[in-house]
Amino acid sequence: MADKNMKFLVVDDFSTMRRIVRNLLKELGFTNVDEAEDGQIGLHKLQNGQFDFIVSDWNMPNMTGIELLKAVRADPNLKSLPFLMITAEAKKENIIEAATAGASGYIVKPFTAATLDEKLNKIFQNLGK
Amino acid sequence: MSEFGGMEELLQDFLTESSDMLSDVDNKLVELEKRPDDKTLLNDIFRGFHTIKGGAGFLNVDALVTLCHRTENLFDKLRNGEMKLSAGLLDYILASTGVVREMFGELAQKRQPHSAPQALLDSLDAVLEGRLDANPAPAAPAAPAKEEVKAEQVSTPPAAVDGEPDWNKLYHGLLGTEPAAPAKTETVQAKAALEVAPVKASEPVALAPSSGAFANTGVSSMNSGQQIAQQLTTQETTIRIDTNRLDQVLNLSGEIGLTKNRLTTLRTDILQGRSDAHTLRALDEAIGQLDLLVSDLQNAVMKTRMQPIGRLFQKYPRLARDLARQLGKDVELVITGEETELDKTMIEDLNDPLVHLVRNAVDHGIETKEERLAIGKSEKSLVQLAATQVGDHILIEITDDGKGMKPEMIRQKAIEKGLLKVEDANNLDDKQSLQLIFLPGFSTKDQISSVSGRGVGMDVVKTNIQKMNGRIDIQSIPGEGSRFTISLPLTLAILPVLVVKVCDQPFAVPLAMVREIIPLSKNDIQQVSGKATMVVRDEILSVRSLASLIGWHDNKPPSFGVLMQSAESSFVLAIDTFVGRDDVVIKPLQNIKPKGIAGATLSGDGSVVLVLDMEDLLAALGTDQASPLFDFA
Repeated sequence: MADKNMKFLVVDDFSTMRRIVRNLLKELGFTNVDEAEDGQIGLHKLQNGQFDFIVSDWNMPNMTGIELLKAVRADPNLKSLPFLMITAEAKKENIIEAATAGASGYIVKPFTAATLDEKLNKIFQNLGK
Repeated sequence: MSEFGGMEELLQDFLTESSDMLSDVDNKLVELEKRPDDKTLLNDIFRGFHTIKGGAGFLNVDALVTLCHRTENLFDKLRNGEMKLSAGLLDYILASTGVVREMFGELAQKRQPHSAPQALLDSLDAVLEGRLDANPAPAAPAAPAKEEVKAEQVSTPPAAVDGEPDWNKLYHGLLGTEPAAPAKTETVQAKAALEVAPVKASEPVALAPSSGAFANTGVSSMNSGQQIAQQLTTQETTIRIDTNRLDQVLNLSGEIGLTKNRLTTLRTDILQGRSDAHTLRALDEAIGQLDLLVSDLQNAVMKTRMQPIGRLFQKYPRLARDLARQLGKDVELVITGEETELDKTMIEDLNDPLVHLVRNAVDHGIETKEERLAIGKSEKSLVQLAATQVGDHILIEITDDGKGMKPEMIRQKAIEKGLLKVEDANNLDDKQSLQLIFLPGFSTKDQISSVSGRGVGMDVVKTNIQKMNGRIDIQSIPGEGSRFTISLPLTLAILPVLVVKVCDQPFAVPLAMVREIIPLSKNDIQQVSGKATMVVRDEILSVRSLASLIGWHDNKPPSFGVLMQSAESSFVLAIDTFVGRDDVVIKPLQNIKPKGIAGATLSGDGSVVLVLDMEDLLAALGTDQASPLFDFA
C-alpha cells in the first residue's frame, strides 16, 4: 500500500483546480501536498525539494504539462517520479503524446476521489513491479 | 436553499478566479478583433474557456460546461488554422462570454444557472461543423439537417468514453508492458468515464427553427455591457491579499504587542512612585515607538485593502466595443495605469460612474464615422482610460477625441430646461458652464437614446464620486474632445484634515481641498458688488466666513483665511485660528445628519471634533455661490 506521507506536487494554473485536487488527495489520506502555478514553477520546486508524486494539468501558460513531463523525464534526479497527467480532453493524439513522453497515468476532468484513487493505485502497482 | 451544499467555499473561489479570467478573455477578444491571426491570443482565449470548463465540471455546473466546451472547440479550430475568424463568428463568441457572465451571476446567488439559449448553442454547433459560414446574415439560417445533428451527437462525445480504455492499451503497448488491467477495473473505469462526461453525452441538439434565433444572440451580445455592470455589483464579498502584505500586518501587530508590554511595565513603575528621569525617558521612547508602529500598521492594513484598478478597467474595452458596434462607430478604448492601486470599496463604487462616463464618451462624445470623415478626422476614434497616483491621490481620466462640448450650448440647454436663470448664465465662465452637466435633469441630447441619455446620469456620477471624497472635473475643447478627471483619495479609512477653530470650537476641514493658509486683515477684503472678495496673487476670490456658513455669529473678525479649492471654484474660508493637520478616522453621526457635517472624530485631547463636508455646506446655501455670504464691513 502507498505511503500516506508521500509528498505530492499539484501543478495547475487555476488555483480553484489546485484546491480541488488537494481536497481529493486529502480525502484519500494524502495530506503532504505542495502546489505550483505552472510547469516552470513546478520544475523549480521539483528540483529543489523531495517530491514523490507529480499531478499536473496539461494546459498551462509558460510551461505546459507535457513540457514539464518531458523536462522531468530528462532530469536524471527526477526521471523516475510518477507523473499523473490531468486534462479535460481524452483525445487519442493527446494520450499518445502523454504516453510517449513517459506519463505514468492520465485522468480526465472532472473526476471523483474514487477515480483518482483508482488511477493512483494502478500507478503504485506498476511502480511496485 | 443553496444547490451547492458543502461546496460554497469552492464555488466562491471558482467565481472570483473565473470572473477575472473571463474579463481577461473579453479583453483579449477585443484585441483579437484587431489581430485575428495572433496565435498567442487564440491560445490564451482557448485556455480561458478550457479552464472555466474544467472548474465548472467539478462543481457540476453542466450548463456552463456545455457552453464553454463549444467555445473552446471553436478556438481549438481557430488556433489550428482550421477555421478563420470573422466578424460574425466573433459576435457568437462575444454572445457566449455574455451568457457565461450571466451564469456566473446566477452561481453567485448559489443557483444552478439556466442553460445557454438553445439558439446560441445551435449556432456554435453549426459553425463548428462548418455548416454556417459564420456570417450571420439574417438570410442565412443554419440548414436544419436532422441527420447531421445526430451524427454530431455521436461524434462529439466519443473521446471521453472511448478514450479511457484506449489509454490503457496504448500505454502498455507503448511501454511494452503487459496489459495488466483486469476486466473488472475496465468496467469501473468506463463507468467513471461515463459519469464524468455526462454533459457531452446528453444535451440533445435541436436546430433553430428560423433565422429569428440569430437576432436573439445579437441582442444578448448587445446587452452584455449591462450585464458586466450588474455582475460587478453583485459579488466581491471576499478579498485576495498578497501574503507578504498580510505578514507585514502580523509582524507589526506583534511589535505593537511588545511595546505594549514595555508600557505596562513602565506604568507599574510610575504608579509605584518611580518617576525619575530615566523612567520618563523610557516612557517617552516607548510612546514614540508606538506612534511609529501604529502609523505603520495603519498603512499596512490600508494596503491589504488596495487592489489594482485594472480589475475594474478590464471590463470596459468590451463595453466600449459593444456599444460602438451598436452605434455604428469605430472606437478603440486604450487603458493605461491599470496597476494603480486603490481601496477595494472605492473600486467597487467607481464602477457605475466609470461605466457611465465610458458610455457617454462613446455615445455622446464620439462623432459618427461620417461626421468624423467630413471634418477630416480619422474614422477610428480613441477613448483613453488612464489611472495614476499623484501624491496621496488617484487620478482617473477618461479622454475622448470626439466633438467636445461648447459652453454656450450647455448654458443654453440649462436655461431651456429651467435649471438656470438667464442672468446667472451670463455670470458663468466656460469652466463653470461645463459643470452644468452635473445638474440633476440635465441631458444634452434632444432625443434620449437607449444607451446613455436617460437624464439621470452625470449628477449621479458626481454624487457617487463625492461620496468617496473625490471630485470630478471637465476639460473640453469643441471639435477636439473632452476629458473627465476624477480625483480620489487613496483610502476612505483615514482622512487627512486641517483642524481650524471658530468661536473656540474646533472643526476639521478635508485637507484635500486646502491649498494654503493666509493671514487675513480687514484691509485685504474688498466689497465687489456687495460680495466680500480678496485678491490672492492676482486671483480674485470670494471670502466666506466659516461662522456664517454654519449659521453662527462671530463677534471677532476672522484672522486667517484658508484657501479652499473645490471642483467648481476656489474661495477663501475665513476662520479665527487653526490648530494644525491631523489624520482622522471619521465616525458617522447616528440618526442625525446636520447639513455640511460629514461626521465626527476624536482629537488628541479626547474632545469631539466635527468634520465638515464643504461641498454639502456650500450646496446648502443654494446653487448661486456668488451671492454675498457675509458682511465683512
